[in-house]
Amino acid sequence: MRRRYGIAATLTTALLVIAAAAIATATGCRGGASHEAAAADSAASHEKKLNLYIWSAYMPQDVLDDFTKQTGIAVHFDLYDSNESVLEKLQSGVADYDLVVPSDYMVRILIHLSLIQPLLKDRLRGLENLDPRFLNKGFDPSNRFSLPYVWGTTGYGYSRERVKGTPDSWAPLFDPANKGQILMLDDMRECFSAALKSLGESINTRDAAILRKAADLLKKQKPLVKTYNSSDFENILAAGDVTYAHGYNGQIAKVIAANPGRFGYVVPKEGATIWVDSVCVPAQARHTDAIYAFLNFILDPRVDARIINAISYASGNGAALPFIKPEIVHDPAIYAPEEALVRCEFVEDIGDATELMDEFWTEIKAQ
Amino acid sequence: MRGRGGFLRAHTWLIYLFLYAPIAILVVFSFNKATQTAVWQGFTTEWYGSLVHNDLILTSVRNSLIVGVAATVVATVFGTLVALALGRYAFRGEGLTRNLLYLPIIIPEVVIGAALVTFFGVVGLRLSLVTVILAHVVFSVSYVAIVVRARLSGFDRSLEEAALDLGARPLQTFWRVTLPLILPGIVSGTLLVFTVSIDDYVITSFVAGVGATTLPLQIYSMLKVGVTPEVNAVSTLLLLLTVVLIVIAQRLQQPPPEGVRD
Repeated sequence: MRRRYGIAATLTTALLVIAAAAIATATGCRGGASHEAAAADSAASHEKKLNLYIWSAYMPQDVLDDFTKQTGIAVHFDLYDSNESVLEKLQSGVADYDLVVPSDYMVRILIHLSLIQPLLKDRLRGLENLDPRFLNKGFDPSNRFSLPYVWGTTGYGYSRERVKGTPDSWAPLFDPANKGQILMLDDMRECFSAALKSLGESINTRDAAILRKAADLLKKQKPLVKTYNSSDFENILAAGDVTYAHGYNGQIAKVIAANPGRFGYVVPKEGATIWVDSVCVPAQARHTDAIYAFLNFILDPRVDARIINAISYASGNGAALPFIKPEIVHDPAIYAPEEALVRCEFVEDIGDATELMDEFWTEIKAQ
Repeated sequence: MRGRGGFLRAHTWLIYLFLYAPIAILVVFSFNKATQTAVWQGFTTEWYGSLVHNDLILTSVRNSLIVGVAATVVATVFGTLVALALGRYAFRGEGLTRNLLYLPIIIPEVVIGAALVTFFGVVGLRLSLVTVILAHVVFSVSYVAIVVRARLSGFDRSLEEAALDLGARPLQTFWRVTLPLILPGIVSGTLLVFTVSIDDYVITSFVAGVGATTLPLQIYSMLKVGVTPEVNAVSTLLLLLTVVLIVIAQRLQQPPPEGVRD
């Protein structure tokens, strides 16, 4: 699930937490506490307890119940609503979570800040079940820290009643004929990705000239756009306020399911952004035995398929595919078609080019 | 004249509409049959029924009540003591104490949340329901102290003096005379704090740990997967509870009738 606050919000949170951490280090009264904590931790590693911190609607209760029945390990879970919540909790240093499920870009940040720990691969069974298309990606090059859990794409939803035929490219979102009928995500990287892909470029380009071309396209598109929204775009589409809504597949899939036959989802043939949420172990996690028991449990293709059948997201476990309901596997809003998928890219850190993109984005929004 | 009165009335209604229409719509849509909130598809109460079977929501309601009650009890005791000290004694640093009391209310919640999380990190306290209760006590004490102090400002000291003159011991005077007189202030402070605690999202989201998902946190995480009518239903119930408590608090805050004071 890709949900992001604006860059500003992320930065503010990060700054606050970093300032907080600086004070904590400066005061240095942690020494004694962590010594005791270390002793407690070694005892906790065998404790039959697991604390999960996960997106809402990402884990069905009955699968957890079965795990508890099999292993005697009690699973407790809390839900979060943004990747930034994971960052904040792990940076506090006192959150007692054993597993978290952040998105790709957040995994990169968590690794960089040493907030998650390398996986003990020799304790994992069934790694070969994972879909190789989601392994060894830029955010964690050899999957030392993360295992792909679910993935999705950013394309667009559309109203079947108002659109003739089946759209298959980004073109309708930039077509003057659709003036006032388009919703775009209020997200700089996603909007640039749409523009760059429709120009046939990589979403992670650092080339200033290409970025300028994409920015010009977005400026030209702006008068056509009814609203920029990334918090409840699916409802705006469902209410019929727009015909086309740029958005994350998960939310649009829910609109499609709730209104049979009325809406569709497109992963444009030029390609789009793709995201993957991965299971990671926080650096502070204590219940080691329970963590690996649980990871091995969900690496089992049949268990993973049960999860996927309940939550309706695409699985990072390739071996689970035969056990997943066909209506999920064949739903393009959940499983992007292979031919579009090969042109999809993960959002990567584009370094200094971010600044230029920021500048363009401000121009576009201020226009 | 008549035209002007009509204009004023229309103006007033428009303002009320602006303030309350969104809330009214939320309540109306909690009875909507459709699973997507934007379109009306007929009346139903099934969302209220399904709330009862939603373990996640029930657990979060339980957590909210535990936090609300615990924080309120602690804050009421300490807040009242602070208000009594400020209301009746002149001491060094009185002005400073009084002003510091307003800080937790004035400081942005985000800052308090970040500060508390740092503090818990420094002292090595693991985030849990306990840290949420502690955090709520932080801002609740101020609310209680301010409300009770307002009540004390109209307090007639001669009643206490009379009790002491008639042979009551100081503690007896407190229980028999002072407390009953300021009780309405304490109760309204208590109710106010309880509603603030039940509603709090920002600070709670910072300090909540394992097993500490409160109702507002739960609603927020549900919103992110799409606004379901269940969210509207639980919001409506939360709204109802808040309104009832606030109305009671306001009733109690009104000054006692003159006859009582004489």
